[in-house]
Amino acid sequence: MDVDLTFEQLVRDHQAMVFRTLLRLTGSREHIDDLAQDVFLRLYRALPSFRGEALITTYLYRIAVNVAQDEWKRRSRDDRSHVSLSDETSAWEERLAHPDRNAEQQIEEREFQQAVDEQLQRLSQIERTILILYHQEERSYEQISYTLGMPIGTVRTHLHRGRKKLREAIQQNQTSERRTACQTN
Amino acid sequence: MSDELMNSRLVRADDELDRRVLHALETAPRVEVPADFAARVADRLPARRPVSLTATHYGRNAVFLGMILTLVILIAVTLYNGRHASFGLAESVLLGQFLALTVWLSVRRHGVE
Repeated sequence: MDVDLTFEQLVRDHQAMVFRTLLRLTGSREHIDDLAQDVFLRLYRALPSFRGEALITTYLYRIAVNVAQDEWKRRSRDDRSHVSLSDETSAWEERLAHPDRNAEQQIEEREFQQAVDEQLQRLSQIERTILILYHQEERSYEQISYTLGMPIGTVRTHLHRGRKKLREAIQQNQTSERRTACQTN
Repeated sequence: MSDELMNSRLVRADDELDRRVLHALETAPRVEVPADFAARVADRLPARRPVSLTATHYGRNAVFLGMILTLVILIAVTLYNGRHASFGLAESVLLGQFLALTVWLSVRRHGVE
């Protein structure tokens, strides 16, 4: 009973981190609750073999990445179309609403954020995972290296490559949007 | 417009794009975790296999049974084939091993308990 209560507390402490990581890794709010539960159940099963060589958070990231990978595989089998992060009532966009900014700026920023998220989903799984762990979750190279089981040099390479691809894709998007706007005017 | 001015504008635009991309990447999505999420996970936890506090002695019992069987077979073989000297040697070795095992098991048993 005590063990369950302690584990419940552990879930409470880390649930937000697991939800936001899964949300961005999978690019969808669909099934996010089930996936997060899966992460914690896997952690519970793995706890007896957890030797404390890493922080529990690093261990959780590793499990979350594995669960996200399984979800990608399931989706590719089901051939489902991806649902955008903003397809449901999302508070994320609302967060951008700043009273000191005008509506146009807010819309522009929201669109830019959506564009980044869309392009993020087009990167390879490994590049996307590393970008999210490094930028969003502020993990160090060592932690990412442990989480993904790859050398630090490889993590650096994927990070650099992923950022470059993302930037180029956004730039290309912006250029084509400007062209379309010019043609319309 | 001079090339220098053009280049500096391009560099500034690139820097601005980098800044915006990084800002977008660093902006974590806000998530609404259901209030009962942790409790639901706790409910789904698999029951841990109960640990038996009563010691079992299956292995030791099997050893004793094996020893008795070996002894019976040894005696039976001795009575049946007692005339052959070569077999008698092997028989003695087996008997010696059997006795050594018996002594070792008895000592070990006393040591544990």
